[in-house]
Amino acid sequence: MTPRNIENYHRVQPGEFAARCAGIFHAGGKLRMMFAADERETDGRMNIYAVFSSIADHGSFDIITTAVEDEGGFRYQSITPRVPAAHWYEREMACMFGIVPEGHPDLRPLVLHGMYPEGVFPLRRDITAADVRSKVDLAKDDAYPYKTVEGEGVFEIPVGPVHAGIIEPGHFRFSAVGESIYFLDPRLFYTHKGVEKLFEQVGFERGIQIAERISGTSSFCHSTAYCLAVENMRGVEIPIRAKAVRTFLVELERLYNHIGDIGNLCAGTGFAAGYAGGAELKERLMALNHRLTGSRYLRGVNRLGGVSRDVLEDVESISAELSVVTDEFKAVMKFIMSSISHMERLEGPGFLSREAAVKLGATGIAARASGVNDDLRTAHPNLFYDRIIFEVHTRNRGDVLARMMLRADEAACSLAMLRSILRKAKPQKKELMAADAQQDARPADIGGGRQALGWVEGARGSIFYFVKAAADGKSPLRVKVRSASFCNWPLLPLAVLNDIVPDFPLINKSFNLSYSGCDM
Amino acid sequence: MFGKIFCNIIKSKRVLNERELEYKNPEEAAGGLVRREIIPASFRGSVRIRQVDAGSCNACEWECIALANPIYDVQRFGVDFVASPRHADIILVTGPVSWSMARALEKSWLAAAEPKIVIACGDCAADGGVFKGSYAVAGGADKIVPVAYKISGCPPSPADIIKGIRGALALLCGTHKGPEPK
Repeated sequence: MTPRNIENYHRVQPGEFAARCAGIFHAGGKLRMMFAADERETDGRMNIYAVFSSIADHGSFDIITTAVEDEGGFRYQSITPRVPAAHWYEREMACMFGIVPEGHPDLRPLVLHGMYPEGVFPLRRDITAADVRSKVDLAKDDAYPYKTVEGEGVFEIPVGPVHAGIIEPGHFRFSAVGESIYFLDPRLFYTHKGVEKLFEQVGFERGIQIAERISGTSSFCHSTAYCLAVENMRGVEIPIRAKAVRTFLVELERLYNHIGDIGNLCAGTGFAAGYAGGAELKERLMALNHRLTGSRYLRGVNRLGGVSRDVLEDVESISAELSVVTDEFKAVMKFIMSSISHMERLEGPGFLSREAAVKLGATGIAARASGVNDDLRTAHPNLFYDRIIFEVHTRNRGDVLARMMLRADEAACSLAMLRSILRKAKPQKKELMAADAQQDARPADIGGGRQALGWVEGARGSIFYFVKAAADGKSPLRVKVRSASFCNWPLLPLAVLNDIVPDFPLINKSFNLSYSGCDM
Repeated sequence: MFGKIFCNIIKSKRVLNERELEYKNPEEAAGGLVRREIIPASFRGSVRIRQVDAGSCNACEWECIALANPIYDVQRFGVDFVASPRHADIILVTGPVSWSMARALEKSWLAAAEPKIVIACGDCAADGGVFKGSYAVAGGADKIVPVAYKISGCPPSPADIIKGIRGALALLCGTHKGPEPK
């Protein structure tokens, strides 16, 4: 079965859309992403898509789509009151397409800050990049209506966008009573770079470079999901060797992220020796990345239709390096876990309930540490994942400790998977690109208007891409990127409630959310 | 033509060896960055950096963070990252400067005391990189603040950043004063 067959598109009337989505969501179907596409040039409509994991047919997707009518402005019935996981997607559509979800509880602008012109919606096809650029006014103040808490002893702590450490920009408005966080209103999208529009501007091939730069430490997973989407759309099946290489690098990316994150949590509690241990091991993996691919962030490997280099050639030396990493990782974990003061700090703060994780559509570590067994590698297996045996780990406590321990479990699991891929790689044919990969030369074969999904379970959680070709088939009509952090950022204000302000950096680190991946 | 290919082979080999060296022996990669020789007298033998992410993908940030890990450990060269621009001699900008960060970047630069310089770290900060042409970016740090030095790479490796800082300081040795604020 090719990946194309597992995407089932259901077109419904605008009036039925909310009920249909709510029906799937309440039956346990996970909302994977929701987006709009301006298809007025091809079928005269502005369409909304909601992608759910199918409940009846395991491994496939149910995509509910409807047209939004222009009745003096695009409006439709919001699904957020019944599907809470949709709340940011709907706010995003309002900002980027001017499609208003009626009945949405929070319609403050999500993506575009004050300097952007009002009433100009960048992702509409009749708006060019130059149209937006020419109207940006940097002198205009960003009058964002933060939610405030009033009462005796409540005070506000504004933090950011430039933070104290070397981290990405974002603004956090804490309402605290004493040291306890009573309410947190985050303001993100400071690193918004107009990526989805840029995909439409540059064409399919150069899109890989952009996908690699959406979130630095998820470079490979993003480019893999993008390539898979374009390949699925074109009906290209990549060779087995390319699948092995991609899976290997996806797991390597997960490994260096998880080990780095475990080390960073030590920085959150001021445990310098533990942090140094994690950082040193991560650096070793970054050097391995560089040796294998020429890039410390695994860039430049993915191509449409395969991979550019055979990173699995030198099985012996990679195996030797992996055994050193395995031993050192065990030693680092033993050392970190032997620090009682560190471990005690991790226990308790940043609690996320299972119910909240399900309702708000949490993904990745954040979901699995709260007991939600959701991993695209088993839920929708692609690449090499149906050929290797592995276990999806979960934890139930939902706190910082659970997320750290889950990372340790998954890192060990990734190490085993890397070795398993290496064993299977030896007898494989060394073919790296699909024979019919050079399809850009024959746009007529691609077919305008074709669409497909691509997905990968990255270190932070699931990553989804939706790609739809324009009528001529040469460039994308729409590329929707859904990074893991976009799902998980709204969880943070819930997880920090009633914890103390000094624990915030620790809780934030335990989620390890990407600002750039969310803001795009 | 053959000469050109040969040159490229030699060049690529040299780069490869240098890169390997960077991991094994970062001190050599830093090229003997000795503080007295390289850091201008006006900075009293040590520089402080305020890193400002102006829409980067976070890869440059991780390389800056790696500078402080036990392998690279730049503090021993008299170089350190600080929390406040008030304490900074260098504003190290990463990212293509998204419109939403433009004012925060300008304010950070204005908050630093003289003498001060701006280093654009990475291809995005240099000229917008792959994000050039997007509606949401200024396309390079020099559109907002006066950039004295550019470090190329996507991202530049930690050793590249050390070399870049050294290059910028060497430049500063001649001028001793940052350019006027825009």
